[in-house]
Amino acid sequence: MTGNIHVGLAALGAAIGVGLIGAKASEAVGRNPGAATKILVQSILAIAFAEGIVFFAIFLATKAWPA
Amino acid sequence: MRLFNLIVSSVLASAGATTFAAEGAHAEAGAAVAHHELTAKAVELWNIGGFPITNSMLVTWIVALVLITFAQVATRKMTLVPSGAQNFLEWLVEGLYGFLEGVIGSELVKKTFWFFATIFLFILWSNWLGLLPGIGTVGYGHTGEHGFQVSEPWFRGANADLNMTLSMSVTFFVCWIVWALQANGPIGFLKHLFAPKGETTGLLKMLMILVFLAVGVLEVVSIAFRPVSLSFRLFGNIFAGENMLESMANLVPSWLGRVLIPIPFYFMELLVGIVQALVFMLLTAVFTMLICQHDEDHGPAHH
Repeated sequence: MTGNIHVGLAALGAAIGVGLIGAKASEAVGRNPGAATKILVQSILAIAFAEGIVFFAIFLATKAWPA
Repeated sequence: MRLFNLIVSSVLASAGATTFAAEGAHAEAGAAVAHHELTAKAVELWNIGGFPITNSMLVTWIVALVLITFAQVATRKMTLVPSGAQNFLEWLVEGLYGFLEGVIGSELVKKTFWFFATIFLFILWSNWLGLLPGIGTVGYGHTGEHGFQVSEPWFRGANADLNMTLSMSVTFFVCWIVWALQANGPIGFLKHLFAPKGETTGLLKMLMILVFLAVGVLEVVSIAFRPVSLSFRLFGNIFAGENMLESMANLVPSWLGRVLIPIPFYFMELLVGIVQALVFMLLTAVFTMLICQHDEDHGPAHH
């Protein structure tokens, strides 16, 4: 098994971040169901930024890119 | 004592059996994966006068053709009370328009709707078309020791190619600059990036100018990385999805495992396909809104 420890760490951090955003977003929808669309937009944007880190980590870790 | 012996021996026997089974499965899976690996680069099918035609480009054109044909067919016989294909298309476009209007405002959506709607529909349908059986599995190949192996598939998901996603985000970047200059003018554009915001006077004002100059430099760097992150995000998601489906299909080397195991992941990929299309559209829309917003909009006096 091979891999990069920093890609793993980035994935861990991003997963925690996405989980936190999702938890808070669903909590917010629970509190105010009328604002569901606005919350969806905000949370998707935040999730996209959080998960973008992993892709940077993956592509920067791959020395032979593009393979 | 006899009971203890029995337990130990059974544990050892079962452990041995599992190890053996695991090794066997691993070896076979390894061999299968080595043959089925999805290449990071799209495969070049033809080369017309130095211009390469890849399998991703083929799927891109198919998706574009499907979308254009559907739009033409649906709007051929327009009726006041829509039905069938026209109804579906109107629902889609009106829904998207309303959604974008809520996000970026009614002024901007009039000007930029064509771009965001196109991007959304194109990414969505190319993601979903890439999930069809036959994409990545039909093509040229050779007969090896494990039977026939496809080495040059004819089709490949359009967004599983970094060229496609990068060209979309670069196109957006050009549009973004044009819209930003139209909305702010060249001076206003620079002011938007570097000029201090808020009302301060005297020495504090000098400090604020320095601070916002530094902030502007940071902002330029972050703006310059937007096309990169946009294209990496879409490519990474779709490419990883295709890879995952292939590894899941090869997990258990029997026809039942090949058929059953990828099914839940297909549903996940359907979800990823629409979410990534939504993310690309939303991010580009919000980036445009951020630069086209005027400072005057904050005060109610100008409305």
